[in-house]
Formats: sequence, structure tokens, C-alpha cells
Amino acid sequence: MFISGFFYIIGETFKGLYRNRWMCITSTGVVMVTLLMLGLFMLVNLNISHITETVKEQVEIVVYIDENADQETLDELGQRLSRHSGIAEVRYVSSDEHMSRLHRQLGAMLEGYDSGLDNPLLASYEIRTNSPESIVPMAEEFESYPGVSNVFYGQGYVENLFAVTGVIQMVGLALMVGLSITAVFLISHTIKLTVMMRKREISIMKYVGATNWFIRWPYVLEGLLMGFVGAVLPLVGLYYIYEFSVEWVEVNNLAFLTLLPAHQVITELAKYLVPLGTGLGILGSIFSMGRFLRV
Amino acid sequence: MVEAKNLCMRYEKGGRYALEDLNFHIDRGEFVFFVGSSGAGKSTILKLIIREIKPTNGVLKIFGRDVGRLPRHRLPYLRRNVGMVFQDFRLMEERTAFDNVAFAMVVTGSSRRNIRKRVPHVLGLVGLHDKARTRVCDLSGGEQQRVGLARAIANRPAMIIADEPTGNLDPGTTLDIMNLLRNINLRGTTVLVATHNREVVDRFKKRVLYLEDGKLVGDEQKGIYAHVH
Repeated sequence: MFISGFFYIIGETFKGLYRNRWMCITSTGVVMVTLLMLGLFMLVNLNISHITETVKEQVEIVVYIDENADQETLDELGQRLSRHSGIAEVRYVSSDEHMSRLHRQLGAMLEGYDSGLDNPLLASYEIRTNSPESIVPMAEEFESYPGVSNVFYGQGYVENLFAVTGVIQMVGLALMVGLSITAVFLISHTIKLTVMMRKREISIMKYVGATNWFIRWPYVLEGLLMGFVGAVLPLVGLYYIYEFSVEWVEVNNLAFLTLLPAHQVITELAKYLVPLGTGLGILGSIFSMGRFLRV
Repeated sequence: MVEAKNLCMRYEKGGRYALEDLNFHIDRGEFVFFVGSSGAGKSTILKLIIREIKPTNGVLKIFGRDVGRLPRHRLPYLRRNVGMVFQDFRLMEERTAFDNVAFAMVVTGSSRRNIRKRVPHVLGLVGLHDKARTRVCDLSGGEQQRVGLARAIANRPAMIIADEPTGNLDPGTTLDIMNLLRNINLRGTTVLVATHNREVVDRFKKRVLYLEDGKLVGDEQKGIYAHVH
């Protein structure tokens, strides 16, 4: 193809966008709204996952040491725990340290309590696991170790937390798939409408001897641009909405809501929404044209 | 240049034949009218020539090639050698006369320099040298058909086919357009015109192929329309 063909395709892309500006604006708008909804949902979902993961990571196992255990048993217990492959971090907390923590927590209520009395608190190992999901089986394993009095890991609470987050993640995934499919349908149908409005033009091109790809290229580029703009604008909008939300959480001192940083979330969304938008724009154009090219 | 052997066309399986067992031969440089009443099969022949449709049976050879067997990807190259003129002009109305003519050249890969030189020339040939930058929708019907003609000849095709080219035009403009087609033919281009305009056929006295219910019922050199009936 001569250079005129190349310039023609580029020129036609922009002329086509201008000539059919209202239809293109509508198509881009549909892409934008659909991807904005999808992005908004993904944003919420990403943060729910992040918050639940953070909560899960904070859950730890406390192994209380039997006060009657001999030194050899205690040494062996310490070594077994430190060698365990599922443990990320293990820390020994003496009974004195437990007492001073209690003092810090209860303050004046404990005044005079320690005078002349034995410390009744048990020494313990505080354990962080590599995987939050392995807390329950590991706790059960530690209970059988010699020198262990009992094991505490938030029984009941942890199981409920895992069950709830599991459901949230499943529902989130299902909604995301559903929204993605809706986006595919909405966007491809809107682009189909844009192409249908120009079927006469396409048939004329066929009559004067244009090859199918020569006809397709400007439409493909139009689809790409519409899809790209339709994906990038919601991302910009989502960035500002999200940044505002992060600030609001900080200002209102909602420390339990540990939100992901804005740039990280938007990068994650961009990885998904930009290829989706541009891909749908391109494929929507190609598939919508098929029927009109058979002249 | 155009050769039909036992050419048959049926739009629906089991339906009636739009063309039935047609045999004719058209040489290079001829001017031929296809005449007949509505539904006689005039437009069907033209559609077959540009392979808009495929024959049900028989052979139709254009430039020595059987168009029925032409692979789909070769169609653009066939159409570049056949300039087409339509009753409804089929122009890109929001674009200028220049753009419409240039488009036919761009798709064939003509250089920009060639396009800039050739388009004003062909617009001049059809008497529209001063309307190059006018949008087609702002032109009269006759002027639009001239743009259609300019587009058809832009790539110097070996053949022009025109389907009721004057169907939407007044008598004066009809004569102008037909004279342009005759001039194009005088330069060596084969011209095939489907029409039921009696005055045009009688006035120009060219070869006439008469069609009736899809059958070829007459073939006369310097024919006149009255012979259809």
C-alpha cells in the first residue's frame, strides 16, 4: 500500500470520529460508565480483600508453657517451634513480661497486687504463621507438643473470619465476572450501532474496490481510541474518588480501615480496564463490521 | 470482455429464475444497453458482473475470468477494473466531490501526487472542475451523478457499468449524463447500461440486449426500445 493509504487510514480515523461525533461520544460514554461501574466495584473488592488479609495476618497463635515442665522439655519446645517451617516469627514472652503488659493495660487497678505474691501468669510463645489459613491446624498441632499448657488463637473468631472473607471473595468474583460480561455486551452492541449507521459508507467502499482490511482499519482504530478513552477517563475519575476516600478515612481516624495506596490500586485497575476497554473497542468494531463487508 | 454461457440466477432455492439460460458476448469497447421491464433481470446481470451475487448455474466470464469462481479476496481487484454508476448515486454525502473521487483512487494505492493530479482532471471531464470542494449533499442530482461518473472513471477502468443511471434525473440532465457515458465509451471504455428509459435507448442507437422474465429475447446492434414488446 502506498503512503497515501496509510495517511488515508489515519486521516479517516479522525474524520470518522468527528463526522460521527455524537455516536462516538455515546459509545465512549457507554464504555466509560460500564468500566466506571466495574472499576468502582473492583476498587471496593480489592480493598475488602486487603483489609481481610491484613486482619488475617494480625491473628497469631499464643502457646502457653506448662509451669511444671522441666528445663529440657522447655528447651526442646523452643527448638521445635523455631525450626517449624510454617512459622514466620516466634517470640518468647516471659511471665514477668506478661505481668508488666497487664500493668500497662490495667494501670491503677493492679496497684499493690504484686506485693509479696507469686506471678500467676504463664510464660508463652507468640507465633505468627506464614499463611493465615494454617493457624487452626498448626494450633491443634502445638497443643500436642510436650511442655505446652494450652494454645490460644482466637478460637471461633478466626473460623468465622475465614468463612466470611471466603464468602465475600466468592461473591466479589461472581459480581466482577457478571459486570465484565455486561460490559462486553454493552460495549460491543454500542459499537455495532456506530458501525450500522455507516453501513452505506462501507458498501460504497466495497463497490470501488477497497479490500476488507482497508475498510476495517479506520474502524478498528476508532474502536481502539473509543475503548482507550472510555477506559482511561473512568480511571482518572476513580483515582480522585479513591484518593478522597483515603483522606476521609484518615481524617475520621478509622484506623481499622487499612486502605491500599491510591497509586497501587489505580495501577491494578489500569492493568485490567485499559486492555479490556481497548480490546472491546477493537473486537467490537471488527465483529460488527463482518456482516456489512459481505457485499 | 463479458461472456455469459447458460447463465442462470435464482435468488431463492426453489424460487423463480431471475435469469435463465443467458448466452451473450460483449467485446471490448462496446456500448450496450440492457433493457426490459422491472424484474426482467437487468440489474441482476450487473450485480453478477461485479460479483455482488454469484450465479446459480452457468458461467459468466469478465476479462476472461469466471467471476463465479473468483475467490472473495480477489473481488476488490475485479471491482477496481469495473467502474460503477448507480441510480441512487451511492456517494459519501458528507464529503466533497474531490474526496469521493479520490477515495476510489486511494483504495487502489495511487500516490497522493497522482490523486492530486487525476481527480481535478476527471472532475473537469464531467464538468465539475469548479465543484471539487463542494460537499456532495450540496450538489444537485445531476451534479451528484456526474461525481459518480468521475469516481467510476478515476482509475481508468476497462469497463463502466451503470444501473439506471438516469432514473432519478430530469430529461435534460439525463441527456447530459448519457452524453458523458458516450464520450467515455469513445475513449475505448466498454459501457454497459441497464435502463428502461425508452428515449435514451432510441436516441443513442447502440447495441441492445432485450430481457423479459429473466430470458434474453433479443440482441440488436443499433436497437430501439420498441422491440422489447
